[in-house]
Amino acid sequence: MFTKILFATSGSPCCDAAARVAFDLAARYNAKLFVHHVLGVPSRGFSQVVVDVRTGEKVELDEDYIMWVKDELKNTYDRQLKSGVDCEIETSVGIPHREVLRKARQEDVDLIVMGASTTGCEADADAYQRHFAGSTLQRVAKASKAPVLVVNRPVASFWGGFTNIVFGADFSKASEHAFKFALNTAKELNAKLHVFHAIDIGSTHSLISQKQLDDQMIEARDRMRRKYLIQAGDFKNITADIWEGIPYVEIVKYAREKQADLIVMAHHSKDVSDEDSAFGHTLEQVLLRATCPVASVNRADKI
Amino acid sequence: MPEGTICNKRPVASREDLDALLADSNGKKYYAEMEELDVDAEKLWATIQKTMKSRTKTWLDICAHCGLCADSCFLYSVNGRDPKQVPSYKIQSTLGEIVKKKGNVTNEFMRMCMDTAWSKCTCCNRCGSFCPYGIDMGVMFGYLRGLLHSQGFVPWELKIGSGMHRLFRAQMDVTVEEFVDTCEWMVDEALEEWPCLEIPVDKEDADIVYMINAREAKHYPEDIVEAAILFHVAGENWTMPSEGWEMTSLSMFAGDWEACKMQVDTVYGAMERLRPKRMVATECGHAYRATVIEGPYWAGRPDGKPPVECLHYVEWVAEALETGKLKIDPTKKIKEPVTLQDSCNYVRNAGLRDCGRIIMKHIAEDFREMAPNKEHNYCCGGGGGFNGIGRYRKQRNVALKMKREQILATGAKFVIAPCHNCWDAIRDLEEEFEIGIRWSFLKPLLIKMLVVPEHLLPQE
Ligand code: SF4
Ligand code: SF4
Ligand code: SF4
Repeated sequence: MFTKILFATSGSPCCDAAARVAFDLAARYNAKLFVHHVLGVPSRGFSQVVVDVRTGEKVELDEDYIMWVKDELKNTYDRQLKSGVDCEIETSVGIPHREVLRKARQEDVDLIVMGASTTGCEADADAYQRHFAGSTLQRVAKASKAPVLVVNRPVASFWGGFTNIVFGADFSKASEHAFKFALNTAKELNAKLHVFHAIDIGSTHSLISQKQLDDQMIEARDRMRRKYLIQAGDFKNITADIWEGIPYVEIVKYAREKQADLIVMAHHSKDVSDEDSAFGHTLEQVLLRATCPVASVNRADKI
Repeated sequence: MPEGTICNKRPVASREDLDALLADSNGKKYYAEMEELDVDAEKLWATIQKTMKSRTKTWLDICAHCGLCADSCFLYSVNGRDPKQVPSYKIQSTLGEIVKKKGNVTNEFMRMCMDTAWSKCTCCNRCGSFCPYGIDMGVMFGYLRGLLHSQGFVPWELKIGSGMHRLFRAQMDVTVEEFVDTCEWMVDEALEEWPCLEIPVDKEDADIVYMINAREAKHYPEDIVEAAILFHVAGENWTMPSEGWEMTSLSMFAGDWEACKMQVDTVYGAMERLRPKRMVATECGHAYRATVIEGPYWAGRPDGKPPVECLHYVEWVAEALETGKLKIDPTKKIKEPVTLQDSCNYVRNAGLRDCGRIIMKHIAEDFREMAPNKEHNYCCGGGGGFNGIGRYRKQRNVALKMKREQILATGAKFVIAPCHNCWDAIRDLEEEFEIGIRWSFLKPLLIKMLVVPEHLLPQE
């Protein structure tokens, strides 16, 4: 299932939570781990100067600098590296999302692990936010063939494996891939799969009548069965729930209740074609609030 | 010391040579070695006798020192009208002296020439259009750079750049395999949104062969797929060559004429191999100059033209908009004030001034001209290699001031720059002076505004 994992890191503390998950996953599933750091964004035309993605400073790209950064990474992940994970530390120069995607493609990885947001990370300088920050994650998630596992906060409910997976169903096309990924993961890892849909009543301005809500429930239940549950076949470790509310709040609450260690959602690449627009609203909010890793799935290729 | 280990008269010949240069942080060792580099006066004079054309000789002789060229040079203006920045002075005190002294010049003098040739002239050729005799410093500085290069007095980054061309036939280390893979990769990523999108590689007899700047393949492959999308929507029969796709020439900036020829031969080779009807060049000014304007002379083509008709991207876009191959949704036109950077290389030096205006008419509601504009536009401030040379960073930042004033005077906060070098300079301008502007190439803008025919859209 996870034989090759790419952990894209800026090396700064905002990636610590993601680092823990990446190393734990690699250890548990015996996967090869690529720790990839994009050194800087090429600047100054053809010159050898890059803008360091962490500090925003201009640095001369030479062997010394590259060695220094690699050493820093080794120190940062010192403890994890000693755990015996088959791990390769690599750096590259370029636009961060491009280089992460390039590496993922080269190695044909099954999973990309990243931190969600870097805002609030002290080292954040202008250039960093301009080139990396949320937009890197967004762009990686949009184009990646492999699911992107986002770890935003020190995760409370992750102990090095997946036992309770929540799949946030929204009946879209993209969510079919996401469901397959969730299902396969649950099957392979012998985890429980909780299929969940939240009927959105947060965006309706007037009160919703009970009749309307009942109708929507019936419809959702029907779609849930036709679209997803039927695919589970003889896999019995699956439950389904439908709640009503503001979807992202409900998903986070539900995940907490189920003690989820993974939430799987579709990415909806089309909604983010514009670089200014954020992730699909719900996914973005879940990423920020969930206390467990969230996998964003956009394509069927690596599922 | 006649020759240093990395600063010498030999061009880069191997990966090891290149790596040795790259390993030298800031070019520190390189420039230290340069201070010890011998000038081979005999060879220098022999080269001059062999290569200096009568035009250059005449120009050096007939300059009336009238100073009419002074105000035409943006570097003169932004440097407080320093007499040492008057174009005629700049060339007479360098190339003029070398010729007068029949090549008998010192190391120190050569380094002064290097500083002048790469930090006091961007080869924008603006002065040439104001001198009553048509004396063009851009051309003469180009020649001087060649002489300096042959003696090893060339900025570190340009020795690297030129070396890249020699080794990879591209200004960056992108191999044929990597390039082809990048094309496949980009299609892969875009297919969902653009079903049936293709980047046909090495297709023979297509209507268009599309060529690019290696930075697109290396760092901004989105640019390639954006071109693909636009060709796709326009219904063009097009292709890219697996070899010979890179049309820039840092060797031109470096004055490495041999590498220039190697590079352009590769590009023309691709044209001859694939026999397209026309070539479309990406949004790059110096790439166009190298391949279309100067290239034929490096390659020794008798008609002074590339093997096939060549268009800059602005020409193709203007044509596609005018003929209706590309249609713009009027509601999506740029509403805010917007201005356009006329690249010296394809506007002043190739006469493509109207294309930009045609495009603006289609895509912008409030287009503001810079003043002066078109063939009289000033250099962005970073041309001729200026942008990328660390040693001249300070001078380059001063040079940006002219563009800053021009842009501010338009009142527009948005600048369209269909040239890599200009784009860089304008980005740096914002970083340096923070005047609150944004900048863009044409492709991403066009894609946002396009009317896409129903049958090209993905089916849900
Ligand atoms: S305008 Fe022409 S003739 Fe007059 S000083 Fe300049 S180069 Fe010489
Ligand atoms: S070519 Fe341009 S930069 Fe060079 S001297 Fe003439 S006007 Fe000045
Ligand atoms: S970078 Fe652009 S504006 Fe500057 S000299 Fe080159 S083409 Fe002209």
